[in-house]
Amino acid sequence: MLQPRALEGIRVVDFSWVRAGPWATRWLGAFGAEIIKIEWPETERGRLPSSTTPQNLEVNLNTSGNFADTNVNKKSLSLNVRTPKGLEVVKRLIALSDIVIENFSSRVLHKWGLGYPELCKIKPDVVYVSMSGYGHTGRNHHYTTFGPVAQAVSGLTHLSGLPGVPPAGWGWSYMDDTGGMYGAMCALTGLYHRNKTGQGQHIDQAQMVSSIPLNGPALLDFTVNGRGSNRAGFPPGNRAHWPDKPLVNNYRGPTVAPHNAYRTDPGGYNDWCVIVCQSDEEWRRLVQVMGAPAWAAAEKFTTLAGRLQHQDELDAQIERWTLTLDKYAVTERCQDAGVRALPVQSAEDRVENDPQLRHREMYLPMQHPALGTHKVQNAPFKLSATPAVNHLPAPLIGQHTQEIVEGLLGYSHRDLQDGFDNGIFWPAQRARFPYLEDMIR
Amino acid sequence: MTGPLAGLRVLELADEKGQFCGKLLGDLGADVVKIEPPGGEPCRRVGPFLDDVPHPERSLSFWYYNTSKRGITLGLESADGRSLFRRLAAAADVVLETFRPGFLPSLGLDYESLSEQNPGLILCSLTPFGQTGPWRDYLTSDLLHMAAGGEMASCGYDEADVANASPIAPGGGNAWHMGCHFAYMAIMAALVHRTMAGQGQCIDVSIHEACALTTESAVANYIYRGEVLRRQTGRHHAVGVTPRTQFRAKDGTYVTALIAGGLNPKNVANLAALMDKYGLAGDLKDPKYQDAAVVTANALHIIDGVLAHFIASLPAEEVYHAAQERGFTWGAVRAPEALLEDAHLHDRGFWKQVDHPELGRSFTYPGEAAIFNGSPWQISKRAPLIGEHNVEIFCEELGLSRGELSVLAESRVI
Repeated sequence: MLQPRALEGIRVVDFSWVRAGPWATRWLGAFGAEIIKIEWPETERGRLPSSTTPQNLEVNLNTSGNFADTNVNKKSLSLNVRTPKGLEVVKRLIALSDIVIENFSSRVLHKWGLGYPELCKIKPDVVYVSMSGYGHTGRNHHYTTFGPVAQAVSGLTHLSGLPGVPPAGWGWSYMDDTGGMYGAMCALTGLYHRNKTGQGQHIDQAQMVSSIPLNGPALLDFTVNGRGSNRAGFPPGNRAHWPDKPLVNNYRGPTVAPHNAYRTDPGGYNDWCVIVCQSDEEWRRLVQVMGAPAWAAAEKFTTLAGRLQHQDELDAQIERWTLTLDKYAVTERCQDAGVRALPVQSAEDRVENDPQLRHREMYLPMQHPALGTHKVQNAPFKLSATPAVNHLPAPLIGQHTQEIVEGLLGYSHRDLQDGFDNGIFWPAQRARFPYLEDMIR
Repeated sequence: MTGPLAGLRVLELADEKGQFCGKLLGDLGADVVKIEPPGGEPCRRVGPFLDDVPHPERSLSFWYYNTSKRGITLGLESADGRSLFRRLAAAADVVLETFRPGFLPSLGLDYESLSEQNPGLILCSLTPFGQTGPWRDYLTSDLLHMAAGGEMASCGYDEADVANASPIAPGGGNAWHMGCHFAYMAIMAALVHRTMAGQGQCIDVSIHEACALTTESAVANYIYRGEVLRRQTGRHHAVGVTPRTQFRAKDGTYVTALIAGGLNPKNVANLAALMDKYGLAGDLKDPKYQDAAVVTANALHIIDGVLAHFIASLPAEEVYHAAQERGFTWGAVRAPEALLEDAHLHDRGFWKQVDHPELGRSFTYPGEAAIFNGSPWQISKRAPLIGEHNVEIFCEELGLSRGELSVLAESRVI
């Protein structure tokens, strides 16, 4: 059953917390790297506060559902790096590792005595990925971000919404997810480069900066044509163009109509389906799917220019039809006829109702020692020779401290026990979970 | 210095779904050869266009997503085209393709046959739903993926801002970005594996799955608590209504202002100090706010009263910098063009001048997402013109004569 994994033998020292950094190392772990998450219960951010603990469980460091999904494929070393002994332990670990990754503010690792020059002394070819808000250089390097702030400052928020009202923005930290992507992409790229050349390096990834290349065509429209995005009719909601406004591309693809979300039966909060016709031919197919209603034969709807100009009426008429069917039925009828349509799906829809995600085994159950058995999100890529699979549930805090400290680093069991008593591996005054008591027996 | 992927040869057979992945590989130093159908890739017809003159060499969208690539034209439908592609694939490290599932195998260009002549080859297929499943052959678009992936279910408006609003799909073509980020990761993991094991492999990436993975905690909220989240203006989806975080500034733009850790006496004192600099602290300096219970009881007054008034009295950029300097994680909601004025980005050398020699002009492009201190991530050249490197690749590399090239052009193989 053991299949080779792409990053077999690669070890990652993971100082990351909250979301963006852990989302990065989740994928390195899925590829088979050994991820050693350095945590300290007093200053931990990611396990607590938890709004995703199941209703029947106590909220504690080990019961956040979102943490559990974000941190599969990792081990946890509980360690106070702010003590001389803790620093010594982490340095021994770095010496045996390939990648160091963190998403602190720009000067934190440096203050700990673990800046890139120091890392190089410990491990000359280390790949060091820092995932900060604004990067390690530039006058605003000390500024801080959450996903929504990076999205606002970079222009991503402005591109989402209806014209003439406040931006709708992104309803979650898109740049925590995507910042995590860039962290993992940088680590893999740095690792490939090291394997080819023997050279490590410091990669300075910044959440706010990584957002900006996602606005490329909008930026070129300004730098090349002088046209800004602060203009009438922009952003055009779900449409490709807002009627009665200048016909300008909106940076999502071709300017076509219909191109919108439509209510479906039974009219609940997420009962919507999107339909897009990218050509006259696709429009004619949609007309047939709708039963060739008389209104659709009007000359104004037979041309793209007419459909763009009369979108309000067009959308209202299409919605009269979509309201007669549920969103999956609209999807199936349209797609069977070669018309672009898909349902708006909530998380519940994706996990329970999406036949494609079910077929692809996107959510498979996994057992977690504190949470029980729950579905965990899988990888969106299938590698034929080295499948990326979830192989470890998210760690309990400090769960692998003994394995790493004694097994990997060669400290004695007595060292481990002492470290628990004097605040190196667990705060001296803090109650220990039973598995930690077992560990130091 | 060369980029981290210097020496890597990538063949890109990609449309709007995968061209960004090719750009990432190219900007990071790989030699990406974009293979377009004779006459050019249809993405060249997507606007906006240089000076609003539609032309396949003037698409700014195509320009942006195809930097640092060379470009050739080659139709795979003819036997000559397939034969030339096989020769190119024999010397390539990576093939990135976005054809509908089954298309390459139908031409005899499946992974098994391509890897016979090149066992180290990595073939990445990036498609809307992957190579299998009931939706495999469904047609899509960016909007469709944002619907089914769950992005739209999380984005929209408070009832007070837009009554009865539909779910909103954020713009910019981000469904394609999400797919390309995961595709890039999978390709790099396979490349790292190849440095150790010597073997290539094929990769099946699903854009739908990439989108479904990109809504932060929405799936965990459902799996662990059975909760379905609701949409709110300019802030996180949530089970119940949460305080607003987006406020209108004096210049008509907005500021995203979150109070980390929520309101408490310490935060209120910091807020008062920030606002007092402008004489806008309202009553927040009142000692009564040193009592946590008083802060909680007056939360609405503090946020929607004093804080909203403070932001409404100043330009968004001023609020943003003043707040950040005092340790508040706030940001101005900027239109993309405002970034050209951002001093921090200039310090980092973010903007790049890219030459378009055929126009005798150069233009400012957004640069790299991260700084690689040992092997630079940077745009090496503008997007290729249609068939710009046909001679370089077919004649100089594969050894075809100019006459043979002409024959191939006449029969529309290239």
